[in-house]
Amino acid sequence: MATGTRPDVIESFGQVNKTVGTVFRYLLLAATTFGIAILAVLLLFVFDDAVQPLTADPGWHLTFFLTLVVPTAAVGAYLYRRREPAFRFGASALGLLVVSLMFSSGMAMVLVDIVAPISVFAYTLALAVPAALVVAVERYERRIPFWPRLVIAVGLFYLSLFGLPGFVGTALGLPQVVPSLASLVVGLPVYPVDWMLVLGSLGLVVAAVVGNHFRRLRDRRTGLYAAGATVAVVAAVSVVGPAVGVTQIPAAVLATVTLVPVGAYVVGTALERPEKRLGIAFLAVTIGGALVGEVLVGQFGFAGPQSWVDWQFLTSAHSRTAEDAGLYPAIGGSILLMVTVAVLSFPVGVGAAVYLEEYAPDTRFTRFIDVNISNLAGVPSVVYGLLGLGIFFTYLGQPTGTVLMGGATLALLILPIVIISAREAIRSVPNEVRQASYGLGATKWQTVRNVILPQAFPGILTGTILALGRAIGETAPLIMIGAPSVVFALPTELSSAVSAMPLQVFAWASLFAGPDFYQKAVPAGVVVLVGTLLAMNSIAIVLRNRYEGGVATVNE
Amino acid sequence: MSTDDITDDLTRNTENAPPELLTRAFFFLCAALSIVTTVSIVLLLVTEAAKFFTITAPLMGIDGPTASVIDFLTGTKWEINNGRFGVLALVSATLMITIGSAVVALPLGVATAIYLSEYAEKRHRAVLKPALEVLAGIPTVVYGFFALIYITPAIKTVLPGTGTFNLISASIVVGIMIIPMVASISEDAMSAVPDELRQAGYGMGATKFDVSTGIVVPAALSGILSSFILALSRAIGETMAVTVAAGSQARFLNPLNPAAYQEGALPMTAAMVQLLLGDITGGGLAYRSLFAIGLTLFVITLVMNVISDFVARRYREEY
Repeated sequence: MATGTRPDVIESFGQVNKTVGTVFRYLLLAATTFGIAILAVLLLFVFDDAVQPLTADPGWHLTFFLTLVVPTAAVGAYLYRRREPAFRFGASALGLLVVSLMFSSGMAMVLVDIVAPISVFAYTLALAVPAALVVAVERYERRIPFWPRLVIAVGLFYLSLFGLPGFVGTALGLPQVVPSLASLVVGLPVYPVDWMLVLGSLGLVVAAVVGNHFRRLRDRRTGLYAAGATVAVVAAVSVVGPAVGVTQIPAAVLATVTLVPVGAYVVGTALERPEKRLGIAFLAVTIGGALVGEVLVGQFGFAGPQSWVDWQFLTSAHSRTAEDAGLYPAIGGSILLMVTVAVLSFPVGVGAAVYLEEYAPDTRFTRFIDVNISNLAGVPSVVYGLLGLGIFFTYLGQPTGTVLMGGATLALLILPIVIISAREAIRSVPNEVRQASYGLGATKWQTVRNVILPQAFPGILTGTILALGRAIGETAPLIMIGAPSVVFALPTELSSAVSAMPLQVFAWASLFAGPDFYQKAVPAGVVVLVGTLLAMNSIAIVLRNRYEGGVATVNE
Repeated sequence: MSTDDITDDLTRNTENAPPELLTRAFFFLCAALSIVTTVSIVLLLVTEAAKFFTITAPLMGIDGPTASVIDFLTGTKWEINNGRFGVLALVSATLMITIGSAVVALPLGVATAIYLSEYAEKRHRAVLKPALEVLAGIPTVVYGFFALIYITPAIKTVLPGTGTFNLISASIVVGIMIIPMVASISEDAMSAVPDELRQAGYGMGATKFDVSTGIVVPAALSGILSSFILALSRAIGETMAVTVAAGSQARFLNPLNPAAYQEGALPMTAAMVQLLLGDITGGGLAYRSLFAIGLTLFVITLVMNVISDFVARRYREEY
């Protein structure tokens, strides 16, 4: 009986079948890898065109091979074989370093060219002060009924952000009586230098997060030390930065967004998990190898590759000659679009998913919404572009191609994807947890806020990052809403014209078609765009793998 | 942190308390936004397209040049400057892209699904599935550039008569980008086939090959078909790859003639992009033709999505 279900026994009935089966198996494998292989070859070609690694001196390759590749591979292989947790730690620290470097360059760009640090500081303060007041009021008197509490909270935030009578008064033509806290801060006659403003806004937020992280790991005192150390590091780097050629805003941002979080992750893990400490060696060998290689190459005078993806390409605007053309305004546009899309689509998408999973009664209307969302996911992106064009341009009379218009259109485009993935994440929260929360007397909203959303958060985040990746790769809707393909300055407001990375690449590949752009600017743009997307996809995949079993830990 | 106030009366009815009502209303509005989106797409496309056609324009209060519905649906010449709006010229190119990408994606997608669902070990699947997702995650404009710069020259060495802009290379890249869609939906359908059926097959003396092709694939057929339809509807709506690689010359080609794929043509989506890149936002017939094509495209993809849903539901084998 038992042998009757074993395929290997049956296969021995006839040799011919076995051959067919083997051939079939390998055909299937070939078919599976076909698309991946073709894409890999195409990416190699475009990388070769953009970076031109073969134009480098053989000595350059040899130096980096000896200082970077060999030691990293050796240490990595040793750790992977012997101490896998340490290897994983080292690899994720390296990944965090790369991702946070990309993040901080984007943020530095925003602070230098799009939003002045003083406005960021002013709005951080204008949000923090009423939030603190609201918390204080609730601490002082816990039994204020809901409506007065809501009125107090909304009133405080409104006063702090818009003043009295604020934008409502402006719409009615009333004069401003009480200035808002934000405008008061911006209007100060003297204010601290830029790096202090970055420290005062971004820096304090990061310090609070880092402090809280260490407080949880150890105790309150360690947390305070960690927060203090954060502030000290940011201040020190910002002061020393200009001396070594990094201006103060990028230096402060680099310290806040890259050095401190990576440092906190490494130090925290090393303190708590001694078995992972060796992972630091991996990180050190990689960074050290790169630095030593750089110094040696400079010493011996080996020329690096003539890459088109260089500092000039990343920091200059479009030009009629392919050599001088750059991607800077398009990168800035993509960042602004991504922020707008995230702000618009995340709350709405999660809200819709919560409604459909937790609140919706099983009626025809609910099923209609359900079918409707899956159909919206199948609507071509050009049609969303037409929707944006029709609503904003034809009916609302807005100028074409603005940040807000592009962001809103792309947000509608990815909304079905966000909703579908958020629903899956919410559905994977076990029902026992919900019932336990209701059993404790929690209301629906309390259950959603304190139990369901925190548990589903990693899944929701993964889905949103993937959807945002889709949004910044989209070109067609931006063309349809009339976004200009060539922009020379970064957009500074929601109402300024915006270009984006894929749109710029399209412009070079079509409007400026010619061997010059085909071989230089377009491959460079493709490499930057695909690199950004692959980074986002890997973040999402790492998040998913790390938290896949997260729900189960509740049962421990 | 927690909001539960133990001194409160625990017996009071909390279901309609203000925070509950407010949050529920917010969540409901979020969900209802999807309906608003659909309704505005339909309303916008229909009203703007109505201004384009002779028969409906007077209803919309438009008295400029218009185009006849019959000419639009049956004309084979798309010449905006001469006022000839025959959508068949565009539809034929779209159809050719769809056929071409189907030739690439459907066999590869199904083979991938069979491999992932029946043959692959768990650790191989853990590598292959994210790699396949990357295929769908590369921006389509990048695929268009790949087709134009790398694939077309390669095709030219085999078929010297191929134009710089051609439908073969565009079809190949569109096919590659829809492989993941065919593969993932088909694989879901195959994984849903109960193991008893496979075991029964093995019990009858079938090999793994027999079980895969003779039992699993037929049992999952409705899911596989629905994945085909969904993927092809995606190919029809695909824009940037065909805009970059297929050319800008609208011409009516015979989709059944293999040689025609060596020429360039203008699919519907590419025609919309081309219209927008020319300066037509001032209004006029060309601007409205945009919405007429958009409506055609929307209706085609919507019908395909509905059919796919119907096939998946109606012909699903229940176990």
